[in-house]
Amino acid sequence: MDLFKYRIKTLFKYLDLLKELVSRDLKLKYRRSFLGYVWSVLDPLLTMIVLTVVFTHLLGKKIENYPVYLLSGRMLYDFMKNSTNNAMKSVVGNAALLRKVYVPKYIFTLAKVTSCTVDMVLSLGALLIVMIVTKAQFHLTILLLPLIVLQLYIFCCGLGFLLAQLNVFFRDIQYIYSVILTAWMYFTPIIYQLDDRFPRWYQLLVKSINPMYYYVAQSRDIIYYGNIPGPRVFFGGWIIAFIMLVIGVWAFQRSKDKFILYI
Amino acid sequence: MAKYAIEVENVKIRFNLANEKVDNLKEYAIKLMKHELMFQEFIALQDINLKIKKGESWGFVGVNGSGKSTLLKTISGILKPYEGTVKIHGRIAPLIELGAGIDPDLTARENIYLNGMVLGHSREFMEEHFDEIVEFSNLGKFLDSPVKNFSSGMKARLGFAVATVVNPDILVVDEVLEVGDMRFRRKCNERMQRMLSGGTTLLYVSHNIDSVRNLCQYAVWLDEGKIRMAGPSMEVCDAYAEEQEAEVRKKQEEKRERLRREGRKYDYLVVGAGLYGAVFARELTRRGKRCLVIDKRNHIGGNIYTEDVDGIQVHKYGAHIFHTSDKRIWRYVNRFAEFNHYINSPLAIYKDELYNMPFNMNTFSKLWGLKKPQEVQAKIAEQIADLHIEEPKNLEEQALSLVGRDVYEKLVKGYTEKQWGRDCKDLPAFIIRRLPLRFTYNNNYFNDLYQGIPCGGYTSMMERLLNNIDVMLETDFFEYRKEHSEMFDKVVYTGMIDEYFDYCYGHLEYRSVRFETERVEEANYQGNAVVNYTDREVPYTRVIEHKHFEPEAEQENPKDFSIISREYSMEWKPGIDPYYPVNDEKNNALYEKYRALAEQEENVIFGGRLASYKYYDMDKVIEAAINDAAKELNVWVQ
Ligand SMILES: Cc1cc2nc3c(=O)[nH]c(=O)nc-3n(C[C@H](O)[C@H](O)[C@H](O)COP(=O)(O)OP(=O)(O)OC[C@H]3O[C@@H](n4cnc5c(N)ncnc54)[C@H](O)[C@@H]3O)c2cc1C
Repeated sequence: MDLFKYRIKTLFKYLDLLKELVSRDLKLKYRRSFLGYVWSVLDPLLTMIVLTVVFTHLLGKKIENYPVYLLSGRMLYDFMKNSTNNAMKSVVGNAALLRKVYVPKYIFTLAKVTSCTVDMVLSLGALLIVMIVTKAQFHLTILLLPLIVLQLYIFCCGLGFLLAQLNVFFRDIQYIYSVILTAWMYFTPIIYQLDDRFPRWYQLLVKSINPMYYYVAQSRDIIYYGNIPGPRVFFGGWIIAFIMLVIGVWAFQRSKDKFILYI
Repeated sequence: MAKYAIEVENVKIRFNLANEKVDNLKEYAIKLMKHELMFQEFIALQDINLKIKKGESWGFVGVNGSGKSTLLKTISGILKPYEGTVKIHGRIAPLIELGAGIDPDLTARENIYLNGMVLGHSREFMEEHFDEIVEFSNLGKFLDSPVKNFSSGMKARLGFAVATVVNPDILVVDEVLEVGDMRFRRKCNERMQRMLSGGTTLLYVSHNIDSVRNLCQYAVWLDEGKIRMAGPSMEVCDAYAEEQEAEVRKKQEEKRERLRREGRKYDYLVVGAGLYGAVFARELTRRGKRCLVIDKRNHIGGNIYTEDVDGIQVHKYGAHIFHTSDKRIWRYVNRFAEFNHYINSPLAIYKDELYNMPFNMNTFSKLWGLKKPQEVQAKIAEQIADLHIEEPKNLEEQALSLVGRDVYEKLVKGYTEKQWGRDCKDLPAFIIRRLPLRFTYNNNYFNDLYQGIPCGGYTSMMERLLNNIDVMLETDFFEYRKEHSEMFDKVVYTGMIDEYFDYCYGHLEYRSVRFETERVEEANYQGNAVVNYTDREVPYTRVIEHKHFEPEAEQENPKDFSIISREYSMEWKPGIDPYYPVNDEKNNALYEKYRALAEQEENVIFGGRLASYKYYDMDKVIEAAINDAAKELNVWVQ
């Protein structure tokens, strides 16, 4: 219990640092490119347009308002991809500092995931524009979005810790992970619909072992379909997020004292 | 409150280092399959016990890889000990290495905040202290430019300013202060000194052993992960430096062997085993140059030579009292000798009256029976005013206008006339520029911070300076050069500059001194080391009683005799020992001509009192020698 109290105390002590790190990331990102914020809206828009053109012609069955369908899933996937990628490098990237000062190392990982979250919220503008342009219907259920983002945030923190830890010991994890990410994208129904054209076993597989499915499905429900998410994906989303967090924290804690020898 | 700031007990740090560093999964997997993944144990630190009290300053020395930084990291909490415990009482602030805590893309302002928070400060705290940091770092103009455009000195300033905003309980400094300009380094040192006196504990790692000496009271010498020695920093640093030098010498020995086989022997020929020559030779040898020191006299030490006469150190070439205000020089000489607390307070005898020197309230009250400084000041002012001297035409008028009639007649006139062998009326005014008068009852002749005589005499100090350096006595340079010019590459010349150029422009003039040294069968002849005789009738200027320079030696081993030297001032003629240069216009102009020649001379360095034709106190000679040696070696000294 004392240890726990101590942990909470240090977290509070370094809360300002966390904020500062997040604001640094954002500042640097938007300062460097002259288009700044515009870019983070433009990027998903452009990919969306390309994908829409390609896939509406490729896929036999048309998906209604494909741009919104695509974006409502893609947005979350991009967030997951960016935040875990950055989190993976968070410890190694601050090696010079960590060799000199005692700073709780998880602060850096947390900061990366957090700044990507802010980034994602900012890029919601893209979705808004698309919905207005395509005259999509706005559903009240969209207000539930923060809950889903929170789930995914927790999930990404957990995964981020795990990756950051692995990256200290095995630098080639970065290449392996980028392959995984690509596969993961196709394994998640983002550009396609998981309908009966897919074999039954594949559908089951995606729904049971792909965590991203839970978040994408929820987001589709509230934005695209205007439904309250079903209990399976909703509670499943929370449970998976916390399981991931526990695994990440455990892996990180276990080896954090050894980091210094490898960075 | 805990007494100790840091307690390190039985600490052991063990690393598991793979034979080859495996840091990727592929190799890891391959090795795993081939059962090749062997881990080698590496003990970085062992048996470390250290207790550091609040407010102490500790330096850590040792070669690369000896475990200095590992120990600091363990204390800072960055590394966890494998065995043993580390207890810290208080807040640690590390001075972060350049670039580490600093993001090059951010501006100075943003970096200040970021850096401060990395050290665990809150935003509120940083806002409060922001101006203070900016002021100390002196970067006000550049606050909003990205740090990547900064010089390393500017970055160091930023780092230091942030790390020291609050007096941390423990400040950890790891080789960061070696950059930046002199002024900033001084500022940092001042701030660290201030923090030290404010109770901050300092842990300091540096390759520059002199800075450890300067900054730290204590030092730890780490050797292969163990504490080789811990204690007062002087002792530890000396022992460490000694071994380092031995190591360098060993390597040099091998090189010398090779050179010898090739037929060349010395890098430098140092002419003169006086203070300048010895310090210069030592600094060169320390850095791996091979020196040969020669002197035409039959002893080392030059003019500071002391001779042991039945247990009394006799100052053969006049009384020498070491005094300096330069801490660096004081520490330097203390490495080669222990200094006693001798304070020079000469006496002056005029006819049958005895006065204290230098001119102070003791002197004046004896002269006039006055007790209060105001009365004395009024008296002297009155005496000076009575004389109506506007522009002093000679030394007499100059002295009179400075101290008034009584002091001049009794204490200045006769002594000066004997010193120069002429009437004061015939001496130029410039010889005496100032005659300091003191309105306190203080008989300490010098105003310097440090003063003393090396216990056991100057000669043993010189021996230590010249330790392990080849010395050849009774060897005149001009003779030696004729036959052995192939033995050395460069010359360091500390003899008379005019002699070097064969007096081609004529002789530079000196005043000389003659000593009549005598053994008297009296335990205590005059009760003081130095007594001046200020009336002209007594032929000598002073009498030195040598045993009083070393009261501690006399106490330990009382002698019922004494050695005294009567000092006579005399004309100098070519061929006798030169003592005081006559720095008048004519001689200075002559010296300048020789100086110009010296500058043309390749591969010869001129230094010391004779080659510079100037009166040099010992501390200034040492300083000059250290600086010239550093210049020669192209190294930077603090
Ligand atoms: C009377 C007197 C009192 C002093 N008292 C004090 C004092 O109280 N405190 C203080 O700080 N300083 C004092 N000084 C100053 C101090 O003596 C000098 O600072 C110091 O000795 C200078 O050392 P040096 O190496 O420059 O010269 P030296 O000590 O003169 O060394 C030069 C050496 O070179 C040798 N040499 C010269 N020519 C040749 C040649 N051709 N071949 C071979 N060898 C050669 C000489 O024999 C000599 O040994 C005093 C000086 C004098 C004269």
